[in-house]
Amino acid sequence: MATTADTFQAHHDDAHHDADHKPGFFARWFMSTNHKDIGTLYLIFAIMAGVIGGAVSGIMRMELQEPGIQYLGWWVEFLGGGASDFDKAGHMWNVLITAHGLIMVFFMVMPAMIGGFGNWFVPLMIGAPDMAFPRMNNVSFWLTVAGFLSLMFSAFVPGGTGNGAGTGWTVYAPLSTSGSVGPAVDFAIFSLHLAGAGSILGATNFITTILNMRAPGMTLHKMPLFVWSLLVTAFLLLLALPVLAAAITMLLTDRNFGTTFFDPAGGGDPVLYQHLFWFFGHPEVYIMILPGFGIVSQIVATFSRKPVFGYLGMAYAMVAIGVIGFVVWAHHMYTVGLDVNTKMYFTAATMVIAVPTGVKIFSWIATMWGGSLEFKSPLVWALGFIFLFTVGGVTGVVLANGGIDDNLHDTYYVVAHFHYVLSMGAVFAIFAGFYYWFPKMSGRWHSELLSHVHFWLFFIGVNVVFFPMHFLGMNGMSRRIPDYTPAFTYWNEIASNGYWIIVASMVVFFANIGWALVAGKRAAGNYWGAGATTLEWSLTSPPPFHQFETLPVIEDHHSHHDHIGGRPEKQGARPAAH
Amino acid sequence: MMFGGFARRQMRSLFLLLAALSLPVFQPVMAQEPAPPVLAPPQPAITSEQDAVAANVADDTISAADAADASTLDVAPGSAAYTPLGPEWIKGAPEPGAMTFQPQYTEQGDYALWFHDAILLPLTVAICLLVLGLLLWVVARYNRRANAVPSKTSHNTLIEVIWTAVPVLILVAIAIPSITLLARQYETAPADSLTIKATGYQWYWGFTYPDNGGFEVIANMMDEGEALAQGSPPQLAVDNRMVVPAGEIIRIQTTGADVIHSFGIPSLWFKLDAVPGRINERTLLIEEPGIYYGQCYELCGSRHAYMPIAIEALPRPQFEAWVRAQGGTVGAAEAEAAAGAGTDPAAPVLPGLQEPESSVEGAPGAGAAPTTTTAPGTPAPAQN
Amino acid sequence: MTSTTLATRNLRTGFIALLAAAGMLGLGFAAVPLYRLFCQVTGFGGTTQRATVEEADLAAELARSAGARTMSIRFDASLARDMPWSFAPRQVTDRVAIGERDIAIYEARNNSDVPVTGTATFNVEPEQAGVYFHKIQCFCFTEQTLQPGQSVTMPVQYFVDPKALDDPRMEGVEQITLSYTFHRRIEPAS
Repeated sequence: MATTADTFQAHHDDAHHDADHKPGFFARWFMSTNHKDIGTLYLIFAIMAGVIGGAVSGIMRMELQEPGIQYLGWWVEFLGGGASDFDKAGHMWNVLITAHGLIMVFFMVMPAMIGGFGNWFVPLMIGAPDMAFPRMNNVSFWLTVAGFLSLMFSAFVPGGTGNGAGTGWTVYAPLSTSGSVGPAVDFAIFSLHLAGAGSILGATNFITTILNMRAPGMTLHKMPLFVWSLLVTAFLLLLALPVLAAAITMLLTDRNFGTTFFDPAGGGDPVLYQHLFWFFGHPEVYIMILPGFGIVSQIVATFSRKPVFGYLGMAYAMVAIGVIGFVVWAHHMYTVGLDVNTKMYFTAATMVIAVPTGVKIFSWIATMWGGSLEFKSPLVWALGFIFLFTVGGVTGVVLANGGIDDNLHDTYYVVAHFHYVLSMGAVFAIFAGFYYWFPKMSGRWHSELLSHVHFWLFFIGVNVVFFPMHFLGMNGMSRRIPDYTPAFTYWNEIASNGYWIIVASMVVFFANIGWALVAGKRAAGNYWGAGATTLEWSLTSPPPFHQFETLPVIEDHHSHHDHIGGRPEKQGARPAAH
Repeated sequence: MMFGGFARRQMRSLFLLLAALSLPVFQPVMAQEPAPPVLAPPQPAITSEQDAVAANVADDTISAADAADASTLDVAPGSAAYTPLGPEWIKGAPEPGAMTFQPQYTEQGDYALWFHDAILLPLTVAICLLVLGLLLWVVARYNRRANAVPSKTSHNTLIEVIWTAVPVLILVAIAIPSITLLARQYETAPADSLTIKATGYQWYWGFTYPDNGGFEVIANMMDEGEALAQGSPPQLAVDNRMVVPAGEIIRIQTTGADVIHSFGIPSLWFKLDAVPGRINERTLLIEEPGIYYGQCYELCGSRHAYMPIAIEALPRPQFEAWVRAQGGTVGAAEAEAAAGAGTDPAAPVLPGLQEPESSVEGAPGAGAAPTTTTAPGTPAPAQN
Repeated sequence: MTSTTLATRNLRTGFIALLAAAGMLGLGFAAVPLYRLFCQVTGFGGTTQRATVEEADLAAELARSAGARTMSIRFDASLARDMPWSFAPRQVTDRVAIGERDIAIYEARNNSDVPVTGTATFNVEPEQAGVYFHKIQCFCFTEQTLQPGQSVTMPVQYFVDPKALDDPRMEGVEQITLSYTFHRRIEPAS
């Protein structure tokens, strides 16, 4: 809010000569302990990983454009796998789907949302000078990078029928143990260990920062929803990732040290691995989407010039989603041979998640209702998010029915579903957040025109790619296959064409960033105007290297929503000035 | 400023988006007319209902005669007593450009399809349209030009209760048919129903008939040229189909020999993982004779895409003729069951030591590359 | 300000968080024995029960007094792919009175020219029958080593708990499949 913002401005001006003392290049970017620099590093890393993961999906879409094996053999040889044969080509496909999944989950969405925006804006929004453990923050980032390198390396060492880990991102035993001889799967698992360790440290950091370092007066119930989303996400990470770590550690010992945790030959049970994986895996999908919820809440409030509708409901809906997320995992395993009662329970529990999710969707709409919407690029992306996430959400309700899933399980319908909630949910939220905060982070304006072009191309592209997958899945097309019966050609061809629309949109995106960094206009401190009321808007763009050395004080006499997204009553007449 | 212009452009764009979304809905209708027949079947693509019924009946009578012959003559394996169904019997297969489920041929499938088409689909479409409509309304009504002064509303307990309670009621309404469907899918088979064990191997399927002498049929994917020549869909056609009796409850058991596979037939609404070290079981009742295609639905290695399943459902007499042609026995299970408890029927020849064909043949054509000619070493008469 | 206090508080919070993570890590590993225990107790996944002769006698008495019906039992035999044995039940199905002890015989032969040790995994279908399917004696409790060409018969002594008759989930269950899969024991080094 403008009044408090002016107050903070004064504070930071006092400290300015100290605040902008930056270390040299190497120390700043390789030994960074500054949350904004680390956030920037995470974002750059996520973009690079996203380009690689996106390129992998390009190979996949090209291969799926028509029946038969067209390109895989070439890639086997290109990546140094020797003369290609039928098995190596099939294995190459499995390596691609594995890499695409792991990269996008662990090295694109999570680093962008949590590492990037979380690091940048959680301290700013709660009025903290930095994260609680700045050095650990740096360790988290480099662990993630090391994990990524380990995954990349795995593609060049033997993994069974060819080079690389071809187990799917789920790494199911026994395909990942006795079914994949060679070090590739070990490196892929190790990559998850590293990324997981980084994320656990990051989660610890966020929890500590949010619980202990809020500015005076910033109670939990006054925290911006983005901070709430990161808090819930951090708890999910903290409780879910160690279970994955345990499961994949047991995979490693099964592979290398003769244990039989998941090997029936020694009394183990491969189904147990799936239980453990999905006990992590289901919270993981909320880990990827909750920060997106937070970003969209900030944006919707900002551009409506209204406080978030039902703030408490929004915050506790996220808590509810996080909690329920831990007790629905077996809906990923409906066909594994569960008894009827188990399946009924998981069907019912899974559908319950639709309730808090619905609360969020409707609250966003209610926030805009009666608002004064300004269609800047972040809001357009957020609107796209709300609609497409709804589409992905309702197909989730379809899939939640264990009896329906008997047909749709592991078909392209599932692929369509989770790309609607992630490739459109999470990724739209990331782009929304990116355009929302890019001038804040860089100090320079992107082109709003290009941002809108980017949006429309991307919107059309992802729908052309992923909507037909519903049809393919309902008609029976199996997931994770490089080749299919000719009846599936029609929609696959259309989906593959959509990929190039996405590529075009990404060209626009990179042109936009490039243009902004080279020639973008300088951005003011609060460039979105009266609707942007959280603390980061009280600072310059970009913020000083060290901010809030004198802690800001959140005034007590406003009720929370005034702070969260609203304006103090006394400024009611301000929009007329525009 | 130009908020109005912005808003108007947005509106137009959103309508464009609507149009873009509805486009695929109409497109295939147009596209299906010229029907780029990728899968050019030699038979008229759609036989009329009457024709199909007639063919069915005719076939039944012939096969009954055949079966009678077979039982008296005790035919040698591979004799002509059993004739495989031709491509005109393909019922469960994907359709080019199709936008929904394959037609269903089981009771559960019919129910599930009804559940999806009559309840889930309308509901999901309605929710999407509701959200889209609300968004469009908000965009049109509450843009900065139309509504310069935002309201300050941030709470409305009534509406918050409504949008929590209504979804709960909707979900309860969904849960009723959903739970019913699950209960039906888990109904157990009568003691004397035929049991077939589907074993997933890297990368082919084996079908064991323990009630019929315990022989195992190995099914490898058919070479593409051969499949096209006989009018079967490539990558779904197999050299040896899993033959089952139509119109009776059968018990399908699945297990994996090496890694996890998944036995799935879309047109029968059936999917069950084949997990090494354990057996899974569901019942299946295929309503009418025909050919139903499926494939492996769990990533199982480099040829995961190349282990299809073809179920051939036949009237009981023809099925029995097929069993005899495989060297199997018919009626043993019933006889044995009648023998009752305790009385050990002096170990009749019965299954004895089961020799899975895969071990005899050294895993014949085990996941042979689909480029080679079909599984040369398969012992059973190459039927299609 | 009280920055030392903040640092201490941060360390404490961070430590508690990491402790929680470590606890979940431990739970992840503990899941292996816990899952096994859970399956054994509840019959989850079709896990069968072990019973003593006394328990079997008691069950038989109970069943006789209740006039229990019979149940068809199917015997299934599978082999892991690397297992060079033949393995089959002598009888594919059998009918037993619920509560009565019965013996089923499996036969196995080592077809290779080296001694092979096998271990068996097992479950029953439908899965809700697991908690009612009691084995008194089974070859699956121990490893089996067969010399080249050696054949053995392997008995399973079992009974179906009459309590199954009171369970609505067992209504309509006419046949229980008892399945064994023999795996080649993983040799430390060949």
